[in-house]
Amino acid sequence: MDFLRGVWLWFADGSHWQGSDGVPTRLGEHVQLSLEAVVIGALIALPIGVTLGHFGRFGNLAISVSNIGRAIPSYGLLVIAFTAFGFGDGPIVLALTALAIPPMVTNSYVALSEVDPDIKDAARGMGYRELAQLLRIELPLAVPLIMAGIRTSAIQVVATATVAALVAGGGLGRYIVDGFAQFDYTKLFAGALLVAALALATELLLSGLQRLLVPRGIRLLTASASRRATAFKTA
Amino acid sequence: MGMPSGLFLDGEPWVDWSWVSTHIPTILGYLGQHVEFTAISLAGGIIISVPLGVAAQRRPGLRLPLLGAFGTFYTIPSLAFFALMIPYTGISDLTALIPLTLYNVLILLRNVIVGLDEVPADVLDAADGMGYRPFARLVRIELPLALPAMLAGLRVATVSTIGIITIAAVIALGGLGELIYEGFIESFRTPLVVGMALCVALALVADVSLAGVKRLVVPWARSG
Amino acid sequence: MNRKLGPRWLLAGLAALAIAATACGSTPSTSGSKGNVTVAGFNFAESSIMAELYAQALEHDGYTVTRKLRLGTREVVAPAIKSGQIDLYPGYAATDLEYYNSGAGEASGDVNATVQKLNARLQPLGLEALTPSAAVDQNAFAVTKATAAKYNLTKLSDLAAVGDQLVLGAGPECPKRPFCLPGLQNTYGIHFKDFKALDTDGPATRAAFANGTIQVGLVFSSDSDLNKLGLVVLQDDKHLENADNVVPIIRTKVATDEVKSVLNKISAGLDTKTLVTLNGQVELNHQDPDAVARAFLQQHNFFA
Repeated sequence: MDFLRGVWLWFADGSHWQGSDGVPTRLGEHVQLSLEAVVIGALIALPIGVTLGHFGRFGNLAISVSNIGRAIPSYGLLVIAFTAFGFGDGPIVLALTALAIPPMVTNSYVALSEVDPDIKDAARGMGYRELAQLLRIELPLAVPLIMAGIRTSAIQVVATATVAALVAGGGLGRYIVDGFAQFDYTKLFAGALLVAALALATELLLSGLQRLLVPRGIRLLTASASRRATAFKTA
Repeated sequence: MGMPSGLFLDGEPWVDWSWVSTHIPTILGYLGQHVEFTAISLAGGIIISVPLGVAAQRRPGLRLPLLGAFGTFYTIPSLAFFALMIPYTGISDLTALIPLTLYNVLILLRNVIVGLDEVPADVLDAADGMGYRPFARLVRIELPLALPAMLAGLRVATVSTIGIITIAAVIALGGLGELIYEGFIESFRTPLVVGMALCVALALVADVSLAGVKRLVVPWARSG
Repeated sequence: MNRKLGPRWLLAGLAALAIAATACGSTPSTSGSKGNVTVAGFNFAESSIMAELYAQALEHDGYTVTRKLRLGTREVVAPAIKSGQIDLYPGYAATDLEYYNSGAGEASGDVNATVQKLNARLQPLGLEALTPSAAVDQNAFAVTKATAAKYNLTKLSDLAAVGDQLVLGAGPECPKRPFCLPGLQNTYGIHFKDFKALDTDGPATRAAFANGTIQVGLVFSSDSDLNKLGLVVLQDDKHLENADNVVPIIRTKVATDEVKSVLNKISAGLDTKTLVTLNGQVELNHQDPDAVARAFLQQHNFFA
């Protein structure tokens, strides 16, 4: 109980909310790293997954990307990025992006490939051409599962960005790594709490966003699919 | 963003094979530790998650507290969890094994519950009609039918665990992460590459093997 | 029923695997040995070398040694020895004194006085410091040759005027260590523009120097590759850093006369020049600390 009280006091201490090691700064660094990785990852992963899923090609590859991606240890990838490209945010975002891509490729592939073929037939019968069919019929139906993939990816990245502190990166992981090095378990625990809170906030934010974006009809139709998002722990 | 320091282009080889050949016992030792941690934490996860999963599937009221509790452990970053164990378990194997096992319980628990949920009601009725008593029905009908879901969870848990163990090396707990850490600390690429390659290989072998086991054990299940 | 390998076999197989795995991880037997000693080191090469030197000497003398190398910073190693999880680590007289006295400022350039005060602090904890070695590794602050030229820096006092334009990089423990940030402020009046928590003299610090993120960094004076990295150490003209001679810190319970004599013999055979050479073999030639230690011990007939 004393320990928890110590953690409470840590948060209550004003000096911990200022400066280059303060909570706002570290939180900002963490969010920036994560956001960059997920956005860049999405820009790469979604077009690939959507295209492959629409044409129904290379399905095994698209699903294997996820399996292979999961087999790569996040800590190792961050160290390799550091060793190859040096100190700074760039290499860290590069590694995190590589980890963010697989779930989004696989989910968007599955999302597109699982669109009911009858619906696609009906669309073609109604005169929709390829791109219009994709954009106006298939994508809206695929959005729930695609969003699930983005959600999985985002939570994974937020958790893994913690490890960036092991290769001299910033972010909330600094509290954990420095807390350990300084034998300051209060700081360490505070850092762990902040990361958990951020992951939770990310999940809530993206679920809420999904609820806003997806029309009610489609949400009901694809309810079981979007629940398939399982966060894979990499850190 | 920092400017790249050009280390990638400095011509230093990524693998020094003479180092590899003189360090085979060390490398195998770390590999063995890694496999050991994985096996024990998975076994622990299974032993805990199956009974709890069965209980939670029978009594839906237990699901939220159980999934909530283990879900909470799941959100703790592994480095923090390992470090927080040290005051209680010192620098020993348990320091890594307890967090790893708890992480696995969440994944496996979810899958046990889902797997049991998906057993069709008419199958249960038929079993009852045939005279199976509850425990026999569980062990001989329900769990086998839940096996595909449980094995899928085991696959995910295995690959995830293999990756997380690399972080344990940062507090001197062993495993292939020691090679990665050594490569980082000494700016020496070879152990880094060897550690990474073995870790990825181990995870892929485990993943493919478990997929194969699933096909052997439950040939009637859908693939995936 | 068309069952080939039913679920019972699967569970049995997993259980067998788990049992086998546990059995494989058993501790070595200690029959016929003089006792167990757990030796630890900090997470840099020199400490691993020192720990290996002590460990191998004890093993040669008939003790069973468990190693916990690269355990971490002093903030991790000291609690470990206090709680008995480890028995011995190669310490540095002045820095260890200032750790165990919570920064009271008792260390000086006189190694014997420093070690005496260190023992006074260690004794209530059930620990003791043995005979210090002539080998010294002090904390030192380095800048790149370019920075030194730009601001005309040769000694630490020179930093007082330009500190607010420069960023310091060091291990995360630096802001709390008396010889580090507080010492630079109080003794030299240096206030840096920013502090980056990296690692002391590790890959992050070197990389941060390389891409200009930091201009001043904490390094170890016995490091072998500072010149190769284009770094120059600033002279400690006001003697902030003190007698950091290598000295084994050991738990009194384990410190029998025989153990002490083995360890002191090793310490006596080392000097700073040797330390730099051994460091070079690990840092520059990528040899293993244990191989380097073994070669040194054989060369100097410790195993005779």
